[in-house]
Amino acid sequence: MSEQQNQQQTATAEQPGYAFKIEGRPDYSFLTVTIPANETLKVEASAMATMDTHINMKTKMKGGLGRWVTGESLFINEFTAEGGPGEIGIAPGPPGDLSHVYLHNEVIFLQNSAYVASTLGVEIETKWQGLKKGFFSGENLFLIRCSGDGDLWFNTYGAIIEIEVNGDYVVDTGHIVAFTEGLDYEVTMLGGYKSLFFSGEGVVCRFNGKGKVWIQTRLVDAMVSWVYPFRRVQKKNTTTSS
Amino acid sequence: MNIEIMHRPGNAAAKVTLEPSEQLTAEAGAMIAMSGDIGITTTTHKKESGGILKAVKRMLAGESMFLNHFNASSQRGEIWLATTLPGDMMEHTLDNETLIVQGGSYVASEPDIEIDLGWQGFKSVFSGESIFWVRLVGTGKIIINSFGAIYPIEVDGEYIVDTGHIVAFNDTLDFTITKAGSSWINSFLSGEGLVCKFQGRGTVWCQSHKSSSFGQTLTSTLKPRSA
Repeated sequence: MSEQQNQQQTATAEQPGYAFKIEGRPDYSFLTVTIPANETLKVEASAMATMDTHINMKTKMKGGLGRWVTGESLFINEFTAEGGPGEIGIAPGPPGDLSHVYLHNEVIFLQNSAYVASTLGVEIETKWQGLKKGFFSGENLFLIRCSGDGDLWFNTYGAIIEIEVNGDYVVDTGHIVAFTEGLDYEVTMLGGYKSLFFSGEGVVCRFNGKGKVWIQTRLVDAMVSWVYPFRRVQKKNTTTSS
Repeated sequence: MNIEIMHRPGNAAAKVTLEPSEQLTAEAGAMIAMSGDIGITTTTHKKESGGILKAVKRMLAGESMFLNHFNASSQRGEIWLATTLPGDMMEHTLDNETLIVQGGSYVASEPDIEIDLGWQGFKSVFSGESIFWVRLVGTGKIIINSFGAIYPIEVDGEYIVDTGHIVAFNDTLDFTITKAGSSWINSFLSGEGLVCKFQGRGTVWCQSHKSSSFGQTLTSTLKPRSA
């Protein structure tokens, strides 16, 4: 059925960064990172699932006020392996996929809920997308900008697909997880006005240039809308009825 | 046209590679990403056929009323398709035959395939599940999706499938809606209710889970909405 799941079982880093493995891809991805002695890993608040006892946690405000506005938790926790290497297990909130990139003095933009963990060499900041790009995309006004040198992990709801863009590529706005800095993007309509209203695609993000885009196969919002009819209907005067 | 389905069965997505000037018809909303030079037109029917009546029928089937037609330019292009719910996808090739697909499971098809509603579905009004079926006729590749994993069952003789678990079946099969147990009371109490009894020779594709059952599991944990 799928050789992907098997080969993805344990991916060990060949990059200069920390040793890690990602298990359970793509449905229930779980990240285990080995933090070298006296080094520090930044992890999204509440994502830590397991860790060695000599790992010390500190809560830091990272990303500034922007992260508040983005709806993302304001806090990133720092985990330091005191005295010797330590292992930490990280489980992101939604069931889905995890990806790793090693940044060599590069910049990657993440959709605001995608951040999972990074090493200290990676600078995390929120970036205003501008009204047109943010507002019309119906998604978020902010992106997370990750720059510098080091490991970066991010997650999604649904599986991640990595696309090499060379030229022009269209992605449904909600499905964007991350993209590299070299890409120019604009939020546009697809097709004519008829397509805008009836295609079910509406506005899309059109990337241009050379770089990489990561997309997710599922959307939390779509799942939530699907669940809606299954809510009980509360009638006035009577208690509940289905 | 080349179709590759990835991340099966939980988070399936289909990558469709179109050769220059090839076309693909897909359910509205199924496209998640594509090459920038692919053209898109939205219609209420298969290109150059049918009309508004067919669109209304499709809407009644729980399918979106609109279909998107993707055209590759003079270069090769790719389109990624995915669905809303967690689940699987399947590629299938029709060779001048007819496949009946449960409303909602249709994702995409090659332009030579006629998309219509079969009136076989009329009988299933009594099944309590989806009322209509989408009927795909012709020759070419199709993509269908399911809630949960998808698995084929070769029928030769008779076979019983719960109506909510049917994804698609060959129209060489005849079917009747019947009770699961020996008596009506028995069937009702069993929670199986009505089932579909297939007769003949052909394939039935089933889904491992039933979206309506999953939804009902959630009901008690969800906040009520106002009427």
